[in-house]
Amino acid sequence: MAGVPAAVHDRPGGPPGSEPLALYARMWLIRAFEEKVSELYAKGAIKGLLHLGIGQEGVAVGAASALRPDDVVFGTHRSHSHALAKGADPVRLLAEIAGRATGYGGGRGGSMHIAVPEVGFVTATGVVGGNIPLALGAAYASVVLGVDRLALAFFGDGAGQTGAFHESLNIASLWRLPVVFVCENNGYAEFTPLSTHTTVERLATHAATYGIPAETVDGNDVLAVRDAVAAAAEAARGGGPRFVEALTYRLRGHYEGDPAKYRELSELAEWRAKDPLTAFRVRLEADGVLEPGGATATAIEAAARERIDAAAQESLAGPTPTPPDVVRHVYAP
Amino acid sequence: MAQTRYIDAIRGALEDEMTADPAVCLLGEDITLGGPFGATTGLVQRFGEWRVRNTPISEATVVGLAIGAATVGLRPVVEVMFLDFITLAMDQLVNHAAKLRYMTAGALEVPLTIRAQFGATGGFGAQHSQSLEAWFAHVPGLRVLAPSTPADAYAGLRAAIRSDDPVLYLEHRGLYWQRGERDDSAADNPWRARVRRSGTDTAILAWSRMVPAALEAAERLATDGLNVEVVDLRSLSPLDLETIVASARRTRRVAVVHEAVTTGGLGAEVAAAISEAAWHELAAPVARIGAPFAPPPAGPELEAAFVPSVERIVAAVRDLVDRGVAASFAPGA
Amino acid sequence: MALPPLPPPRLVRQLRTMLRIRRFEEALIDLAGSHDVGHFHVYVGQEATGVPALDLLEPGDVSYTSHRNHGHLIARGVDPAAMLAEILGRATGTNRGKGGTLHLASATHGFPTTSSSVGGLIPIAVGSAFAFRELGTGRVSAALFGDGALEEGAWHESANIAALRRLPVVFLVENNSLEALGQKANEYPSSTLAAPRLADLARPFGIPVAVVDGTDAGGVHAAMSEAIERARSLEGPSFIEAQTVRWPGSRPLWPQLVTGPTDLAMAWDPSRIGDEHRAWHERQDGVLRFAREILAAGAASTDEMLAFDREARDEMAAAVRFALDSPYPEPEEALRDVFA
Repeated sequence: MAGVPAAVHDRPGGPPGSEPLALYARMWLIRAFEEKVSELYAKGAIKGLLHLGIGQEGVAVGAASALRPDDVVFGTHRSHSHALAKGADPVRLLAEIAGRATGYGGGRGGSMHIAVPEVGFVTATGVVGGNIPLALGAAYASVVLGVDRLALAFFGDGAGQTGAFHESLNIASLWRLPVVFVCENNGYAEFTPLSTHTTVERLATHAATYGIPAETVDGNDVLAVRDAVAAAAEAARGGGPRFVEALTYRLRGHYEGDPAKYRELSELAEWRAKDPLTAFRVRLEADGVLEPGGATATAIEAAARERIDAAAQESLAGPTPTPPDVVRHVYAP
Repeated sequence: MAQTRYIDAIRGALEDEMTADPAVCLLGEDITLGGPFGATTGLVQRFGEWRVRNTPISEATVVGLAIGAATVGLRPVVEVMFLDFITLAMDQLVNHAAKLRYMTAGALEVPLTIRAQFGATGGFGAQHSQSLEAWFAHVPGLRVLAPSTPADAYAGLRAAIRSDDPVLYLEHRGLYWQRGERDDSAADNPWRARVRRSGTDTAILAWSRMVPAALEAAERLATDGLNVEVVDLRSLSPLDLETIVASARRTRRVAVVHEAVTTGGLGAEVAAAISEAAWHELAAPVARIGAPFAPPPAGPELEAAFVPSVERIVAAVRDLVDRGVAASFAPGA
Repeated sequence: MALPPLPPPRLVRQLRTMLRIRRFEEALIDLAGSHDVGHFHVYVGQEATGVPALDLLEPGDVSYTSHRNHGHLIARGVDPAAMLAEILGRATGTNRGKGGTLHLASATHGFPTTSSSVGGLIPIAVGSAFAFRELGTGRVSAALFGDGALEEGAWHESANIAALRRLPVVFLVENNSLEALGQKANEYPSSTLAAPRLADLARPFGIPVAVVDGTDAGGVHAAMSEAIERARSLEGPSFIEAQTVRWPGSRPLWPQLVTGPTDLAMAWDPSRIGDEHRAWHERQDGVLRFAREILAAGAASTDEMLAFDREARDEMAAAVRFALDSPYPEPEEALRDVFA
């Protein structure tokens, strides 16, 4: 592309879908999805406990775009974006969140327990830090089975205080497992700012304790995240674990319905101004990938919203499970 | 038929499974040295240090790692050194292993086996001696086996590993050195109970170390002309209600014996199931003989008073036969 | 290489305590040869850590220990006879026969409990420190554990909270895994922890660390007194790693007197040291080292030390007899103390 330094955007030989416009489109898909979920929840069309990733799309998309399709990802309670970034189908995802029989879990798992193993998103979990050992296990399996398959664990800053986090860093380092730890440090563990949870506000510090190379990046810069995770992934294939800490912010409450009174409005405003979608568009315009005036950008957003609107209609029209479904899938058939 | 020790049968099962299936791996503390009792002696020399892997003292993460590995194609067997320490891994076992299949409508399965030894022997005290099987039989999605003979130890462990569900396989360390016949050709379903001694006057239902105690009680009662049936449950989840209820109907008097404390123990579940199915055929309430409602004491005499004895079993059967009462149950008894 | 800067009578008392611990453990090992004692862990080789460190605690300070607890309890004045009785499950034991070696406790001596699940005591010790801070008592909580406990997540969670709230807790880690089996040169200190140095596990939390030779009583004293001072002034936790070589007799699954009964005279008569276990007797045995230092400082004579040793052996022989003569508890004891 004329006038744009190749190193800025493109990763020669990078995975498909890692090109800038594809990233932008994927981020919009996620934003549209999460906003739709929020809207449906507010209307009462979706029930349950939801944690939305609005504002953190840069991390989800940046990280997932740096992986191969068969690399596996383990997520958190806030993982709609991770699943979508890895290639989940919005229809089935929304159906699961809405408790439909056509959802990924047949309505049994709900928002926090999404599993789409066919695209490498193995599972999310509702237990803080609970997915980190799972990712280690997948990495261990890669070694035993002799396959070149990486595992990536997403987790938040709150997980950094859990015992499992410490144990996992230790074991991953000891065994030189092919795992990438990606910390979405949004400064809050539920309702509590990180500073009141720990004296160690940069979780990358803990990686260093166990000799795991770590990088801290601006989580709202999708390209920075992509490049950091790509470098980490490359190194982790055979070179032992790596750690990427992405500094970001969630623009909604901890859960849908959380008035988030524990946050200063000025802080929220400050981070809104750093919205990853806006920031990326501005960057792409400045680099001539998107034309100023935004026709393409607008079209991308519109296409995303249209697709999600259709997905919502389709999902909500899906059948609801019936009582006998309660006891299916408890054990192997 | 070959005579073998219970612990050697366990090792044999591990070895045979690991030979037959390269996905079977062992994880645990000190297992490359054989573990504290020698269950895994020699295996690392045969299968290498990735398939027989020593772990740090990090039960939560090791179990979680095994779960994650299971979701992507391994068939791990975790050794938890003492059943008491499974408490450190409760989140992973209960919130993850037991529920991933369900929450994902079968997209994920967790073919995990956890081996743990238990029992009040040697005066090891309250944190090394508990019988906790009732907790796990109470968790939908988990399976629980508790073999009492070398033959069942072998067959049960192989079945546990073959199972696509997470299985808690409970070894009683008081049985480790017991010898018994190992007949691999016997077509016996380890998930069903087994009548060890046919009888007509009373049935004693037991598992693990209480099976030999029940058999001895039956021998003593035989000298008084009583023909006592002994049923080894073997599988605690699922319970083989068909065999249990048939035995209750046939003998009309039942005593359930377990080393776990009586209150809230699995004997209560068995008793309730029998009373629902066979109330009108019973000549007495179902008696439960278990440990008193106290932590396992360390002192040898106290420990001996804590574990249900052959004498107590005999007395309980006498109460059923002579007076038609389940006098074994008393608060704190 | 120095003694704690304390008056000679106090140093002599520390020596006597070390000898008492050593003879206790040897008596127990001997007893296990003829009686069913159950499994146990001995403190041989670590006396020069526990004694000077715990001597700095005051009544009202609490210390939580783990399976390797005999030395700790004796160091804070618990009666060895009651301890042995407990190990043998007698009614006269510290826990009335219900705890055994793994749960020896004496609240009056500042040992609320021993926890035998590795790492299990750490959050509890932090909890006591939390209470001390809230109540403003000026008391200190000491968590006594080994290198293995640092593998448990509970360590990480506890260290985080202790540092965050500046709790008056001292983490005294007795690393007896120097020259551990399986350790490779220039690699991790143990095969089960990826941190190059154990102290690196505390530093990220901003917890001050000290690494000392566990046979250097003076070094242990210095580190511990600084840590206690910091705790009492509510500046927060400290992490002390005291390093020792594991006593060869603690390598087998059951402790064995592989280096022979301690020959105190080896401290001043090198001709008594044979080639077998030379390193142990010359350098690694903290009790012999302390004895040498006491002699060099003129705080006691060889005759006095031999007399102390004899008294220690006599005391432990009497403790054995007491324990063996003590009755077992009645069966009803098994049901007491379950609830209030």
